[in-house]
Amino acid sequence: MSIPYEYYIVLSGLLMVLGLIGIIVRKNIITILISTELMLNSVNIAFVAFDMKLHDVAGQIFVFFILTIAAAEAAIGLGLIMAIYRLKKDVDVEKLTELKL
Amino acid sequence: MDLNAIAFWTFSTLAVLSAIYVVFGKNIVYTVLALISTLIMVSGLFFTLGAELVGALQILIYAVAIVVFYVLVISTVPEYKGKPVDGKYMLLSIPFGFILFLELAYVSLYGAWQSATGIFDEKVINEIGNAKAVGTLLFTKYLFPFEVASLILLVAMIGAIIIGRKKEDVHQEA
Repeated sequence: MSIPYEYYIVLSGLLMVLGLIGIIVRKNIITILISTELMLNSVNIAFVAFDMKLHDVAGQIFVFFILTIAAAEAAIGLGLIMAIYRLKKDVDVEKLTELKL
Repeated sequence: MDLNAIAFWTFSTLAVLSAIYVVFGKNIVYTVLALISTLIMVSGLFFTLGAELVGALQILIYAVAIVVFYVLVISTVPEYKGKPVDGKYMLLSIPFGFILFLELAYVSLYGAWQSATGIFDEKVINEIGNAKAVGTLLFTKYLFPFEVASLILLVAMIGAIIIGRKKEDVHQEA
């Protein structure tokens, strides 16, 4: 392995920070969900990189479970977005303020 | 510079560039295309790390199945007219991102020195293969979480059908 594992960890942190910035900055609900996918991917990179460092394969099994949860999350989240769009005819988070006092 | 290093730098640069477009891009269809690009590059990084099974699953599940969900929903919701990025939160996001990055760096660098190492070093992996090592552990030690994962997928499927269904049939009956 010629690349040290710290490089992969730095890349994972970079993608995680980009996903967080996307969640804070974006206004469309669909792009906020896409940014969460970015954060899940950065966790996957960190799991596999630590596996190679620690000579183990358990992290790759957790990557498998993260893939399962990501599929469930995308299905439920996008179903909710469809329901919200049918009710409000909008996907802008600034305008979906029914719970605000 | 050997082939592994060239692959790492190519994949990681393209992944970060695509991720920047995912976060700041204007057109939402191009955003989803950039997401596919990021996912395929991350899969390539898994291959350079020697995790072939996870890399193949990443392409099959993420870059094909999940992205199809997004494209379907984007095609049914009409085009978003407002500004893609809110300027007043841009300044707020920089310190939060910096703090998160410092915290991640601290935890990952100091945690890795103190962890115990497993038995799957490079010689064992070369002998039995990555897919066999992962599959053996998945179907012995992690068998119960595996079954629970199938239950989660079933519940998510039923929930997505019920939440996303049109309500017109209910009104006709009432």
